[in-house]
Amino acid sequence: MSDTGKRGETILSVRNLKTYFDAEYGLVKAVDDISFDLARGEALGIVGESGSGKSVTNLSLLRLVPTPPGKIAGGQILFRGRDLLQGGEEDMRLVRGGAISMIFQDPMTSLNPLLRISFQIAEALRLHHGMGKKEAKSKAVELLKTIGIPDAERRADDYPHQFSGGMRQRVMIAMAISCSPEILIADEPTTALDVTIQAQILELVKGLSDESTMSVIMITHDLGVVAGLCDSVCVMYAGRIVERAACDELFRDPMHPYTRGLLDSIPRIDSAGRHRLYSIPGAPPNLAGLPAGCAFQPRCDRAMPICGREYPPETALSDGSGAPRSVRCWLHAADAAARSEA
Amino acid sequence: MSDSRALLEVRNLKVYFPVEKGIVFRRRVGWLKAVDDISFSVAKGESLGLVGESGCGKSTTAMAVAQLQRATSGQVLFEGRDLAALSPRDLLEVRRNFQIVFQDPYSSLDPRMKAGDIIAEPMRIYAARGSLAMSEKEIGAKVTSLMDKVGLLPSFADRYPHEFSGGQRQRIGIARALALSPKLVIADEPVSALDVSIQSQILNLLKDLQDEFDLTFLFIAHNLAVVEYFCSRIVVMYLGAIAEVAESAALYERPLHPYTRALLSAVPIPDPPKERLRRRIILRGDVPSPTAERAGCPFRERCSEAMARCAIEVPKPVEAEPGHLVACFLYAGKGG
Repeated sequence: MSDTGKRGETILSVRNLKTYFDAEYGLVKAVDDISFDLARGEALGIVGESGSGKSVTNLSLLRLVPTPPGKIAGGQILFRGRDLLQGGEEDMRLVRGGAISMIFQDPMTSLNPLLRISFQIAEALRLHHGMGKKEAKSKAVELLKTIGIPDAERRADDYPHQFSGGMRQRVMIAMAISCSPEILIADEPTTALDVTIQAQILELVKGLSDESTMSVIMITHDLGVVAGLCDSVCVMYAGRIVERAACDELFRDPMHPYTRGLLDSIPRIDSAGRHRLYSIPGAPPNLAGLPAGCAFQPRCDRAMPICGREYPPETALSDGSGAPRSVRCWLHAADAAARSEA
Repeated sequence: MSDSRALLEVRNLKVYFPVEKGIVFRRRVGWLKAVDDISFSVAKGESLGLVGESGCGKSTTAMAVAQLQRATSGQVLFEGRDLAALSPRDLLEVRRNFQIVFQDPYSSLDPRMKAGDIIAEPMRIYAARGSLAMSEKEIGAKVTSLMDKVGLLPSFADRYPHEFSGGQRQRIGIARALALSPKLVIADEPVSALDVSIQSQILNLLKDLQDEFDLTFLFIAHNLAVVEYFCSRIVVMYLGAIAEVAESAALYERPLHPYTRALLSAVPIPDPPKERLRRRIILRGDVPSPTAERAGCPFRERCSEAMARCAIEVPKPVEAEPGHLVACFLYAGKGG
């Protein structure tokens, strides 16, 4: 969407981000010291199960974490080199929906049921670009055409309930791209949709990111969605990024036992034969009572004594392609240490 | 038509809901045809999958089979007996042979009952009626053995549902469904509310239980990969009608109905190089309203291969290949 800047340069850099929540039963470290970079034009997937911290990460980026009980306890979110955590609320309002915009999982609760579709799309244009009513409305109709709403002139004056689930999610996307954002954050955008509608929406997002330098952060639990859309992936578990890799590399050679277990446990339509699926034992942990050491260690089939004592450091690996690849697991930390000694 | 091996047979099932208007004088202005004339049978020991998108009628079908939803017309035969023709008393007796596992393990368990009581309740009901000869002690022993079978520590019997995780709650639901040693288990989206790493635990558990207890499954799901993994035969539904029925392997290797082809091509595969090479059939628009009066094939507006005939007649399922039924005029020459 935006033409400023070149593909490939870093646009967003998250450094040691910590987002904690005060709960009755103690401090919950929903996001615990995560760092990642996003390049212009890149589609980054953040994958995890419930409680992994993927949605809180996304809310933290736009400072939308409800405070209290939540607070961003530390770290930096550098957008074009400027720390978003330092600015005032007024600065943040200009970023939200402008340079960084967001689409949510449930398009019904994200749209105002009392306002016409065209008004809701035009609102952001009037706020961020100072457009007049008429101009904003005609731009809104144009956007509805871009995202494939048939008969857009007439449908623009409909209310959200007159649109189907898939069309509402298209409207959310129209609102999100209306101000030509540099980053589009999509939080489980297709989870509430049927598979054929999901395919339509993913195709639309892919098209938008291919034809511009807009970066996409796709937050999802579905590794299939990531495989079709993303350039790189962060896998989150219990508030931490446990593995980061280029998309192809992650699927070809998962390093973390959790990533590997997850990939082996999803049924897929292309699996010839009917071999038994792998199951990761146990359940995702309660963030208020994490075990000592590695959070995945109680479910891990390759746990070692050290895993129960210390949290593994981030080990940088090289996959030859030059893309950043890292894993937090003692299996690889030990390998790396051995290599550096040799 | 009647199959001696069939444990369950559904014949020309229709479930219509009235669409009403008016506040004081309510009048019916139309019908919502949730299930419109479907027939299929489930053989003993097989797992039949019902798949389709939201609103296709798969859950209504399941509820009608379980007699939790009255059919507008048609028959549901369990071991040859028409369930709708039974007296409430007889139905209760037959019902112990078909039990249900529900989708949402959060709302389908009574929050004020302990896990052990939830699992024991079906046995207590039938014991109180005198049709199950089990003492309270035997029921307690059976609860312990069921909890063990579904992978729960029997010492958890005194805990309440909120003390369990989603996967554990679904295990309680499964233990309850198995308490009366049913022949048929109707599983309505049993894993779709669960985390990815828990889904395969539950699917594998259901498979193991099927082998151990010789169970037959009617398995309802929207996730085609899950159905492919679990089911031996699959019924694809669209807008209240059957589009295609086939053995699982045949359906995934040679989908015949244009809808099935589009549906399968839309399922993401967790393999980036493969994903890039796939040709996705993107369907236009949405599923039409099930309340609209319509003629012809339910899929025709979204079908890339629609012909003039499709707007006039409703295609009936024909056997395009042995054991492979498809309701589409593209295959009309090949069978019935």
